[in-house]
Amino acid sequence: MTKNGFVGFFSHTPVEDIKADNNQVASILDTSTGDVVFQVLVKSFHFDRALMEEHFNENYMESDKLPKATFKGRITNITTVDLKKKGTYNVTVEGDLTVHGVTNKVKVDGTLEVADGALNANAKFGIVPEEYKISIPGLVREKIEKSLAVTVSMKYTPMQ
Amino acid sequence: MKTYVKIALGVVFFLAIAGIGTGIYLFNLKPKNLSRVKADFVITAPDIEKAFEENEAAATARYVGKVIEVSGEISAVKPGENSSVSISLKTGNDMSSVICTFPPASKTEGLSAGQAVVIHGDCSGYLMDVLLNNCAVASK
Repeated sequence: MTKNGFVGFFSHTPVEDIKADNNQVASILDTSTGDVVFQVLVKSFHFDRALMEEHFNENYMESDKLPKATFKGRITNITTVDLKKKGTYNVTVEGDLTVHGVTNKVKVDGTLEVADGALNANAKFGIVPEEYKISIPGLVREKIEKSLAVTVSMKYTPMQ
Repeated sequence: MKTYVKIALGVVFFLAIAGIGTGIYLFNLKPKNLSRVKADFVITAPDIEKAFEENEAAATARYVGKVIEVSGEISAVKPGENSSVSISLKTGNDMSSVICTFPPASKTEGLSAGQAVVIHGDCSGYLMDVLLNNCAVASK
């Protein structure tokens, strides 16, 4: 499990780049079944500009009403990972991603690295705000990419 | 041109400049460094954890979005992604701590487990632990 995993997203348009980091991701991976759970607080996303953070929380994510985003799923090919052998394995994760109170099925490819006393999980995928009923006014829409690039990075250590 | 028209034009011009200036200022405003900011609440790590554990809704309404000055003993210092640092504080509950996340390039050298510390942070809420974000060591 980890309590300080990282999830970030990035949007690039000719108008501006937007980047947000969250280093307070709680996640549990059960290596025997491949079950994996992520939980984040929307308010933990940190932007370079204070005003962006405010708009993100108040206008788009409505984080007072919907404070958490979660993912519940499974690494479908966990059996191909040899936990006793160091190395990086390609994995596929499938499950339910809940953002802004809307749940969608997602399927994401990533890697799982077996290292000394830790498991490092990494993934990148795209997320379209409209699929999670996040409405962005037309004037601002031009400044935000249609699909945001999401980066996930976890360093799991065994539960004590 | 009549004088009052000139004055009116002058006022409009002045307001436009002031408006643009304020806009640029707000647009570029960086998240605050909290080390010298006066905290909304001063509390110990065990007390704030207890508040969230006993009544999450009430504690969320009271603390989330506020600047918290939390004091406690460090249980762990963990590096995170992009050179951020997470410092956990002991709460008396083994399953749950107060996790203070410092943004990249924070001054956290010399902080290690067992030390007593006072930290300012934005409370973002409660998952398994109480989470403080954008943290800084309180300066005296």
